[in-house]
Amino acid sequence: MHQEPSLRIVPAKAPVKASISDTANSLGLHDTLKYGPRSLADEIKSNPLQARLENWDDTQRTFKLTTHRNIYGLHAPMRQLMERKIVSFNPHMPAMPQSNIHLDILEGRDETLDVTDFFQIDADPPMDIHADMERKLRM
Amino acid sequence: MSTAIHLPRSGFDFSNANRNAFLEGKGVKMPKATSTGTTIVGCLFKDGIVLGADTRATAGPIVADKNCEKIHYISESIRCCGAGTAADTEFVTALISSNIELHALSTGRKPRVVTAMTMLKQRLFQYQGHIGAALVLGGVDATGAHLFTIHPHGSTDKLPYVTMGSGSLAAMAVFESGWRPSLEREQALQLVVAAISAGIFNDLGSGSNVDACVITATHTEMLRNYVMPNVRVEKERKYGFRRGTTAWTRENVRDMVVSEESRPIATAASGEAMDTS
Repeated sequence: MHQEPSLRIVPAKAPVKASISDTANSLGLHDTLKYGPRSLADEIKSNPLQARLENWDDTQRTFKLTTHRNIYGLHAPMRQLMERKIVSFNPHMPAMPQSNIHLDILEGRDETLDVTDFFQIDADPPMDIHADMERKLRM
Repeated sequence: MSTAIHLPRSGFDFSNANRNAFLEGKGVKMPKATSTGTTIVGCLFKDGIVLGADTRATAGPIVADKNCEKIHYISESIRCCGAGTAADTEFVTALISSNIELHALSTGRKPRVVTAMTMLKQRLFQYQGHIGAALVLGGVDATGAHLFTIHPHGSTDKLPYVTMGSGSLAAMAVFESGWRPSLEREQALQLVVAAISAGIFNDLGSGSNVDACVITATHTEMLRNYVMPNVRVEKERKYGFRRGTTAWTRENVRDMVVSEESRPIATAASGEAMDTS
């Protein structure tokens, strides 16, 4: 994702948005058979804590990148983003459970434990491998 | 940036938040978390830290656990007392304990109390008080003895004697009148016992026994159930009937062991027998 340089340490209170663009079928409507029933009216009523937690890591990263840009110049965040991009290339099957230790090292997450490391909400293997492959190859 | 990285989600699950809000609006009572309406204290003494806690866990008006443990392990010479939502204090201290251990292995040094404090406060601040943990963190490290309180929203204090939980006012009254700099170990332990006892006997959310933990630079001593002022007395009467209370007219004792005798039948020397050779 692209974010404006920012020195925020806590995610801003952005208006909650919901869109069917991720779950639309070829006709542009929400695909209920594939993704289940969905209510956009309910989704925009979501908990403010949810948005805060989802945007927490991105905000922290943007803060670090912006600080590095101010201290060392533009090349520092560019280099870090380039390293992230190189590391994020993943030749494996998208449907299999995977980790990315290179990314963990770049993010400073390799020597910490978090809830993600031992409790996972969506631990089940995804059922639609074709959709996952299409998303990976941007088809 | 590339969207190829799909990291697994975890932590708080909000998928039922809207449904629950809807049901609550319709008048459905949602379950409440077990909270440790608590007295937890800590104070400095000459050689280190004494931490103390009561052992009652409550769920609303009900005592959920009469002898729970509220002094949690962080590292060998750092301990953390927890008040608030029982599950949250357990979980957040266990998580920070694991991270402190990894940090100690990574740096090759004994962990510092400020490190644990910073990890705890950053986590609590991230969750905006939704992790309901009010903590007293104490320990001894290379820079001396340190004692912190951490509030559920992530604010911290560093003081020579601290109290937390619903019985904190009763306990603080004891500390305010009794604490002096550089107490002896025994004096500090007695002061902590007095402070926790004040919480046990004057606060309805606290009760049962006194746990204590003495941390010095060389040794950590966990005194589980150090004082037990509320031992349940034995019942004055027994309610079982005496033997022979009921009269009988006839006695019949049956032998329940079935004994049988089996005898092999000699095979007749006829053609009917199966050939088993």
